[in-house]
Amino acid sequence: MKMKKIVGFGIASVMALTMAMGFTAAAADYEECTLKFAWWGGDSRHEVTQQAVNAFMEKYPGINVEVNFGAWSDWESARALEFQSGTAADVNQINLSWIDEFDSNGDVFLDLNTVSDTLDLTQWDEAYLDMMKDQTGQLAGVPVSMTGRVFYWDKTTFDEAGLEVPTSLAELREAGKVFQEKLGDDYYPLALGEFDRMILMTFYLQAKYEKPILADGTVNMTVEELQDGLDFIMSLEADHVIPSIVTIDGDAAASLDQNPKFIDGKYAGILEWDSAPKKYMSALSEGRELVVGDEFTDFGENGKTGVFTKVSLGFAISTTSEHPKEAAMLINYLCNDPEGVAIMASERGIPESKAAYAVLEEAGSLDPVIAEAHSKVMAASEYPEVPVFESNDLKGSEGTYRYVFGGLSYDEFDTEEGAEELYNGMVDACEG
Amino acid sequence: MKKWAKSNIGFFFIIPWLIGFLIFKLYPFGSSLVYSFTDYNLFKGIKETGLMNYIAVFEKRQYREALIITFKYAFMTVPLKLVVALFVAYILNFKLKGVNLFRTAYYIPSILGGSVAISVLWRALFKDDGLIQQMIRMLGGNPPSFMTDPNWALFIICLLRVWQFGSTMVIFLAALKGVPEDLYEAASLDGAGKWRQFFSITIPLITPVIFYNLITQLVQAFQEFNGPFIITNGGPRGKTTLMSILIYNAAFQKYDMGLASAMAWVLFVILVFFTAISFWSQKHWVYYADEE
Amino acid sequence: MAKNTANMSAEDLSYYYNRKVKRKNQISSIIRYTVLIVVGIFMVYPLLWMVGATFKENSEIFAGLNIIPRHPTLEGYQNAVKSYGGNINIWKALFNTFCIVIPKVIFTLVSATLTAYGFGRFNFVGKKILYPIMISTLFLPQVVLNVPQYILYNRLGWVGSPLYLPLIVPSLFACDTYFIFMLVQFLHNVPHELEEAAKIDGCNVVQTLVKVVVPMLMPALISCALFQFMWSSNDFMGPLLYVNTPAKYPASYFVKLSMDSDAGFSWNRVLATSLISIIPSIVIFFLAQDQFVEGISAGGVKG
Repeated sequence: MKMKKIVGFGIASVMALTMAMGFTAAAADYEECTLKFAWWGGDSRHEVTQQAVNAFMEKYPGINVEVNFGAWSDWESARALEFQSGTAADVNQINLSWIDEFDSNGDVFLDLNTVSDTLDLTQWDEAYLDMMKDQTGQLAGVPVSMTGRVFYWDKTTFDEAGLEVPTSLAELREAGKVFQEKLGDDYYPLALGEFDRMILMTFYLQAKYEKPILADGTVNMTVEELQDGLDFIMSLEADHVIPSIVTIDGDAAASLDQNPKFIDGKYAGILEWDSAPKKYMSALSEGRELVVGDEFTDFGENGKTGVFTKVSLGFAISTTSEHPKEAAMLINYLCNDPEGVAIMASERGIPESKAAYAVLEEAGSLDPVIAEAHSKVMAASEYPEVPVFESNDLKGSEGTYRYVFGGLSYDEFDTEEGAEELYNGMVDACEG
Repeated sequence: MKKWAKSNIGFFFIIPWLIGFLIFKLYPFGSSLVYSFTDYNLFKGIKETGLMNYIAVFEKRQYREALIITFKYAFMTVPLKLVVALFVAYILNFKLKGVNLFRTAYYIPSILGGSVAISVLWRALFKDDGLIQQMIRMLGGNPPSFMTDPNWALFIICLLRVWQFGSTMVIFLAALKGVPEDLYEAASLDGAGKWRQFFSITIPLITPVIFYNLITQLVQAFQEFNGPFIITNGGPRGKTTLMSILIYNAAFQKYDMGLASAMAWVLFVILVFFTAISFWSQKHWVYYADEE
Repeated sequence: MAKNTANMSAEDLSYYYNRKVKRKNQISSIIRYTVLIVVGIFMVYPLLWMVGATFKENSEIFAGLNIIPRHPTLEGYQNAVKSYGGNINIWKALFNTFCIVIPKVIFTLVSATLTAYGFGRFNFVGKKILYPIMISTLFLPQVVLNVPQYILYNRLGWVGSPLYLPLIVPSLFACDTYFIFMLVQFLHNVPHELEEAAKIDGCNVVQTLVKVVVPMLMPALISCALFQFMWSSNDFMGPLLYVNTPAKYPASYFVKLSMDSDAGFSWNRVLATSLISIIPSIVIFFLAQDQFVEGISAGGVKG
């Protein structure tokens, strides 16, 4: 599957198209009603989205939008109960996994094809829309943005070591040695938690064996191949490229951005979502510079990256909504209408809607760092992420990833047994 | 009828509770018991019924381990916290200048509860090369790695709970106020020192409240969630994963209400067992002033 | 004479004895204060650190345990009082908290006292079954009750109620077993004689409850009020499930609004809002303790 960004055609034509569309939507008749709209996020997202909602209400007098917002923690639990008992908001910001978890019968999220005359679905790549389809083939939501993992390097530390930031696995390995010799045992060019390790290992395996790790609802790698991946990760640990999980546990930080060793540049690299750099940049102590790295192409022989991407979040309409048409108008306003798009900017990542992207690029309002990270990820991306990859049985705090990668670092078992565990865990999760 | 009412007058006082119980509690309790015998998933419904959840709780390594860790946790924290809280309450019950400030100070950790500040601080204290390790090294010791050594990790979680003794202390303080002062006066005339007074007068008179704290601390320890959640996230290697964390994750990460309910009911039975023993033991050590 | 000197020496003795006691008292109070202060530092340090951290920058918050910020900034507080699109700010959120907590405390006190009095003082048909049932409602973790409770409140049409019905109404019906059990245990320490006396004075059961039992239970009731205040103020899950308009968010919810793990957030702001939100609990405790510690004379038996 090819996932390169298509921005090939003239911005002016996109503008014209969206303007015309905005116009028809405004002219279209709608019912006066009250809609509920719920999302999670942080400060700036709350503020911007409320502005956009107010502008929407101004543009379409008679439609009143009530909002509900909060932080991610426990947000999912509360919404789960709402979806289950039919009290959910009309429009919801959704996580990709919700489609599988909540909507397996297709009765929680409205099939957006039914409102396609209001919501302009042509603004999205068919491939990305496909990712939002539930098991019954209905379109459960629209993808607001795509995301994937990319390296970020603390350039200041690499400068201290007299190195350029690595652009390949070979350079990274070399950096591990230099760091240890020049800067000390505490310094590592890269720090990876359990899930980060799984992602890097997946890059490695997908690039080397040139196939996706999960496909058609099954594990697409053999136990031996998985063991090769685990050996690869453990070799990084042995070569002083990454600190062991024991070391990271000992640091007792809730996440890397709260880890003083990252804050002070001792852990000089991370593998994070393209949407996340601000969090890490603001965490670094003064004077340190975080730069976006290149995806590696030397995991295997044929220059593959093994990189995969996923829908970071979407908008969906609940089947219980009494005003699906007006709800669709709201989504369209937020995703495609130049007016709404300009307000929303890149608060939910670099927008996937072509109209939105064009408007923001034109206005120069894309965050340069996020835009750089995003374009690197999207350019390198070879596979879509399968939702089960992040299922709780695998990614959760008692999940397989934590068990396997932690167990290897704590020396509880070898990679042969680890590969067996990982394989079985993934098979179980697929059968779910 | 009137006669019945007269001899059962207490019943009228508990009517509000009874209504509340029937409306707000019976249904949730009943449902969770029923769920526990099914594979009820919030979004996939029920496909199977039977004892499989209970079998899983006792057979799967993860659940069995969590059960054992929960027991360890409860039996370490409950006695320690009771002793500390009672001791501090006893001291803070003296008429000392500025005692109000001390009482408030000692209550503050309880108010902070599971807040971000606590999590950041405890991690900073016990991490590798953290304050505690540095202090031990300064004294010439060889400190363990608190966060990666399973036993120590559990211990610091326990320590957090003991440290938050404020609420228990407040209840003890309230009880100490109920001990008539003339009893102390009589005892000190008899030449009994403060310690003897404490053990021969204070303790016996507040046994009902000690009993209360014992039961509620036991319940809370078995249901503890915050400590491991904010400090170790269940690690290292799942060695601080208490039952409540597994229940939470089963219920609200996997939406597996069946499994979550089964684990909760296993806890329920354990608590019934311990509480029954405690209630039975009361007649040997709890002194009730209102009984002849 | 002999009698006199004997008296003198006895007085002398008692003088010396008193001085010794005095010195002993002085030493013991020094020890007491030392212990109190040392332990007190351990107890208050997190709060002090938190106060300091509200003036720190993000990177410094995780750097160490020092209280004094290296580069003090007011950013945390400036952001803390910012409002979200005019819908909600920290003061309004605190007000909302009080709207939930104050009725809840009052209802709890009344309903729990009635129930505890019923269970603690009377024998009636079914008590032998109902009492253990009541106690056992403590034993099931709230997590597994959330789902059926939500379904129930939803059927009652209470979800999203502007009056916070799902959060407040249960306390009218003594749904917090902790407090009933506590009051029952405290009742055990109140001798029957007082009530007998009241009965002879012509009080009925209700009057006895109000005039005799409640004053005796005052320390326990104050503790109940304190705990209910603190727990309800801290409750996050309840508001998350049952409140869904920003203008109605209580402080416990408000504090977490900005904590987006993906985009990152300013810790000083989070700590500043948390600090503001716990101040009422601290102040109320400080003020209330006089009430329950000095409120009744020794044992109150004289009443």
